[in-house]
Amino acid sequence: MEDQVVRLTSRLVAPFIQIYGIYIILHGHLSPGGGFSGGAIFGASLILVALSFNLATGVKQISHTTASVLESGGALGFALTGFVAIAMGGNYLANRAAGFPMGETGQLFSAGAIFLITLFVGIKVASTITTLFYNIIEKEQ
Amino acid sequence: MSPILIIVLIIIALILFFIARVDLKNILTLYLLGFILYLLSFTVAEMPPFGDPGNPSFNEVPGRYLEAGPEETGAVNVTSSIITDYRAFDTLGEATVLFAAIAAALATLKAHRRN
Repeated sequence: MEDQVVRLTSRLVAPFIQIYGIYIILHGHLSPGGGFSGGAIFGASLILVALSFNLATGVKQISHTTASVLESGGALGFALTGFVAIAMGGNYLANRAAGFPMGETGQLFSAGAIFLITLFVGIKVASTITTLFYNIIEKEQ
Repeated sequence: MSPILIIVLIIIALILFFIARVDLKNILTLYLLGFILYLLSFTVAEMPPFGDPGNPSFNEVPGRYLEAGPEETGAVNVTSSIITDYRAFDTLGEATVLFAAIAAALATLKAHRRN
């Protein structure tokens, strides 16, 4: 697809979509949203770039190896957060009971394990969507 | 089911079979689907009304989440405090399902591409 309007628009819009996705992931414990929805928005911006340019440009932004590492790392980090809670003396995936730093309620860096879990889930969902899209579209070319 | 209804159903089946020449298998399928529709509508009609305070789902659990959630988990967003703190194990299972699904999809796609 060689359309100047689509390319220029997606190039202008993509950074704002990515900022919005990161905002939703980081504010998962404060406002509506969270890891799944924020990660979907971030992945959609990468898909938009790959759609409006071509696959090579998309893969240049996030390579297959990086996407696989991020995807596995997100799931692993989620599970390891639970084991960190065990090491700190609580149950699996405990938050306040295990003694995570809670911070002040309503601030950005607060809520202990919820912040970490939302971040890991967001990374995982974003890379999952991107990897799946790249692998589906690869057969076409 | 009253006897009159059963007689009417039998007559309809006979008309369909002998006059309209519909296949017997199709008539049986139609009646089986109608029976399932009857059962499902009966179940839906027996469900508790939507938004009624006396529903069995309004027990002490949502009250505890709404009142003690911000204090116990530190998250203002109650939905987030439920899915990533109270029921974090469930969310871990959800992430595992996502991982298994993407692994299966990639295995299928890449195996197809190698030929």
